[in-house]
Amino acid sequence: MAAKDLVTSGNTVIGPSILINGKLTGDEDLTVRGRVEGELSLTKTLIVEPSGVVKANVTVKNAVVSGVVVGNIQATESVELTQEGRMVGDIRAPRVIIVDGASFRGRVDMGELPPGRSLPERTTPRTQLRPTVRSLPAPPPRPAAATTAARPGAATTAARPGAAAVAKKSGGMPGLVRGESARPTPPPPPAPPVVAAGSKKKVVLKKKK
Amino acid sequence: MANTVIGSSIVIDGEISGDEDLVIQGTVKGKISLRESLFVEGSGVVEADIETQNVEIAGRVTGNIQASDKVELKADCRVVGDVKAPRILIADGASFKGNVDMDVKER
Repeated sequence: MAAKDLVTSGNTVIGPSILINGKLTGDEDLTVRGRVEGELSLTKTLIVEPSGVVKANVTVKNAVVSGVVVGNIQATESVELTQEGRMVGDIRAPRVIIVDGASFRGRVDMGELPPGRSLPERTTPRTQLRPTVRSLPAPPPRPAAATTAARPGAATTAARPGAAAVAKKSGGMPGLVRGESARPTPPPPPAPPVVAAGSKKKVVLKKKK
Repeated sequence: MANTVIGSSIVIDGEISGDEDLVIQGTVKGKISLRESLFVEGSGVVEADIETQNVEIAGRVTGNIQASDKVELKADCRVVGDVKAPRILIADGASFKGNVDMDVKER
């Protein structure tokens, strides 16, 4: 358990049978296996272990919650709710991680600037996705061109600008982009069936791909 | 090794209670009540009333101390307050100001 190693290296531990009621401040990591009520502010990391209960307004740099927290957490870096973590209250931190299995009720505020930083990182993989999306639609046009009907040509040309438009829009909203980028890939296949009514050749080519 | 440690940069203003050993390297103000041992280390500062079974003090304590078993004031400690316990040890070099009560009802 890496977490426990970190714990033992940290100076301050509140043991499982300990109850602290009041105000707690400090400049070091704090591990809570017992109970802390009141107010808690640290310049480092708060670790609430599975047996730990914190009923307090918390101000820290990082918080890792595997136990129970009732109250608001304000972190200058990150707040992580692990699988065993349960929390009721508001979280305010640039990075908030809520793992599958965690239970949480309250508001999350990640501020404004930090998401902007993460944008470029996420957009790069998306740009990689887009070319693949474009390359896929490219082949279908060939068969379409061979036995051209008015519909297929229109559909393919329409699909491309559509994808481009999506790409442009995606710059603003990272979260949504993935969903949209996933959608553009299907469109090429749908186009064929429409075309397919005209000729069997097209269908065969698509199956090979 | 005690389960609970209050590190040197930690300040607690309030009440601490529990059933296990407690080591204080930081600052505690308010009240401490334990059923086990309290260790106030050299860097520890306690401004609180203390109720425990055992206390070992090497740091500073201001407040009344009541122990069901033993109070030990170590060489470099500074204690101001009343001490009440069946066994009280004051080491050479300790600084202490207050009343001592070893009142043993067993007599």
